[in-house]
Amino acid sequence: MTRRAWVRLDNASNIFLAAWTDADPKVFRITAEVDDDIDPALLQQALDATFDRYPLYHAVLRRGIFWYYLQDSDLRPTVTPDLRHTCAPLHHPDRKELLFRVVHHHRRISLEVFHALSDGTGALWFLTDLLTAYLALRHPEGRTAAPGQTEDTAAEAPAGTRSPADPPGQAGDQDSSGAPGSPVSPGPSVAPDPALDADPAVDPDPLEGAHPLGLTPDSFVHYFHRTPPPERLGRRVGDISAHGADEPVSRRPGLVALRRVHRVTGTRTPDDRPRLIELSMPAPQVLALAKPHGVPVTLFLTALFFEAVRESSGGLGKSQTIAASVPVNLRQFFPSLSPRNFFATVRVAHTYGRGDDDLGGICRDLAAQFLPETTPEALEAKLRRFLRFERSPLLRIVPRPLKDLLLRLINRANNRGLTVAVSNLGRVVLPEPAEARVRRMLFHVSAVRPQFCSMTHDGVMTISFTSPFQEADHVRAFTRMLTEQGVDVTVAAARVTEQEIEDSPAGVGA
Amino acid sequence: MRRCATCAVDVEGDWRTCPLCGETMEGEPTPDPYPTIALEYSRKVVFRLLFAASAVVILGSLGVQLLFGAGEHGIGVWRTVWLSVVAMWMVVGTAVRKRRNLAKTVVYLVILVGLLCAYWDYLAGWDGWALSYAVPATCGGAILALLLTVRIVRIEVGEHIVHTGLAVLLGLAPLVFLGLGWVREPLPSVACGVLSLLALALLVFTRGAEVRHELGKRLHL
Repeated sequence: MTRRAWVRLDNASNIFLAAWTDADPKVFRITAEVDDDIDPALLQQALDATFDRYPLYHAVLRRGIFWYYLQDSDLRPTVTPDLRHTCAPLHHPDRKELLFRVVHHHRRISLEVFHALSDGTGALWFLTDLLTAYLALRHPEGRTAAPGQTEDTAAEAPAGTRSPADPPGQAGDQDSSGAPGSPVSPGPSVAPDPALDADPAVDPDPLEGAHPLGLTPDSFVHYFHRTPPPERLGRRVGDISAHGADEPVSRRPGLVALRRVHRVTGTRTPDDRPRLIELSMPAPQVLALAKPHGVPVTLFLTALFFEAVRESSGGLGKSQTIAASVPVNLRQFFPSLSPRNFFATVRVAHTYGRGDDDLGGICRDLAAQFLPETTPEALEAKLRRFLRFERSPLLRIVPRPLKDLLLRLINRANNRGLTVAVSNLGRVVLPEPAEARVRRMLFHVSAVRPQFCSMTHDGVMTISFTSPFQEADHVRAFTRMLTEQGVDVTVAAARVTEQEIEDSPAGVGA
Repeated sequence: MRRCATCAVDVEGDWRTCPLCGETMEGEPTPDPYPTIALEYSRKVVFRLLFAASAVVILGSLGVQLLFGAGEHGIGVWRTVWLSVVAMWMVVGTAVRKRRNLAKTVVYLVILVGLLCAYWDYLAGWDGWALSYAVPATCGGAILALLLTVRIVRIEVGEHIVHTGLAVLLGLAPLVFLGLGWVREPLPSVACGVLSLLALALLVFTRGAEVRHELGKRLHL
């Protein structure tokens, strides 16, 4: 008799299932570039070991009458070459399949995850453990010599533990070092996030082992459903490190922007693959540009993105408002090592022609909206409200297909109020031996609208733009704004159109 | 690495023109961080259109039948041929569409075939053959098929238990029809009812815990 562990899908994940489409399959990819070509056999070994420690990643998605749920499975993941376009669909209704994949190409290891399973931070933990295990196998000679390696590194965690004992340090928004204490730049300290650090003084995981069936519990319910607020970290603003743009937790469901916002249009890609363009640049150069504005680097980049969209659209036309959805990692305020989704989003907007429209003015405008929304109190109030709505008896008894329809309508209304989305995983510090062997780290997400995702590792900031459209005018404008100010930018892109694919000298598959 | 002078950026890979501005670039190529992936056109859209068109044709064919009278003075044998083709099309379409879940397919087919037979009987003058013979035969056959198939194919209990349960409950419907006096010949209905009750007892006594676990999961509020 097999009675499989199962757990109801968490709050933020439901929207991904409702809003899932062929063009935006709600998949994101985190990539690490190491210093030599990948050995697939060793990567498979590392994946097998890592997979065993993450029961959540064993889950398949099932449909109940009223809710979706994750159920444990016997499926095993296989490492494959990068044979499909990036962020190809991972979830197919009625098919039992794992909700993530690991692919490799030359020096890159990429983890793709269906967003209903995990968020950027959760996936980064998995990738970190995978990298640590792979590099320990690939370079056994460096194992004992690697500095900083301790007994509790993820590669050596005892079998059966769920989450990494030593998660990657996410130092958050890097510009926090730029203006510490400044009233408009109260970003997190560059020191490792206490919520993520394996400091014995901090309860590392208030949720650990809370679920008897092994699948990790829902942090939304743990913190925001009925129970009095558990002790949280009292920091004001931290990194902006989860991602995704369609979650309803950002505000009351159904509430849409009152002002009509500009929406980017274009020619869809031929087979719904995202138009992906990656920019790599020295992080200090970008921080130096952001510093005079005194805002977190994410908001600086968002302001730059707004300017790029305005410039590439030829002045925005009738709708002079640009709005962005910015996800906020809730783990920094509400300690949790659950790798499941645990984030909220904040919407920021700027209307041109109503005051200060230079870059500094936009930065200040965005900060004035963003910072008050990202206090623990504001986030908690918002999420409690949302959970009350989700858990109301009336909504609970609505059958799942109707819930999906309702969420789809809410999502469509929210989409109408957004021009772009941005997401920053912050500065990532990996445990050794991964830290010494990993060069760039990148991440991006399938997108229903132009979006960028950014992260920093080893002094290199990567900004990956994705869009459902073939045109990349906004990326060109964004890049030129950076290069004109002296930033050294390197561009990498995936081939999307028939012409680009035909022009590839190496041919298909290479 | 290649360089675009217009955008003032270095470009990784083997792009002859700048991916940002389209200008021709200079410099040596480097290994491409992304492989070139051929365009993949999904057949999903084609299948979706085919299924939608089939549904329209099937429903249209069934609806049009109402325009013709019943019995010999109607379209007689042509109706039989027409509805047979429609029924076959519907069964194959449903089986293909739901192919990934055998137990669910069987339940869908029992419901669709039962309804179609009843409608056919109604069109032909309500002779009573559908409720007397066709529905009990379909339900009974489905229960037997399911009980055997899940063992032969070794489907995990949790995967089929809810739909097997539904098929068994549907098998009790002929007894209800019998009680309501809608049935001309009681034997097939009684046989199907007894088979359902036996299957139900088998499920409750041998798989009761799994049924409760599975229902608790699927009906979780």
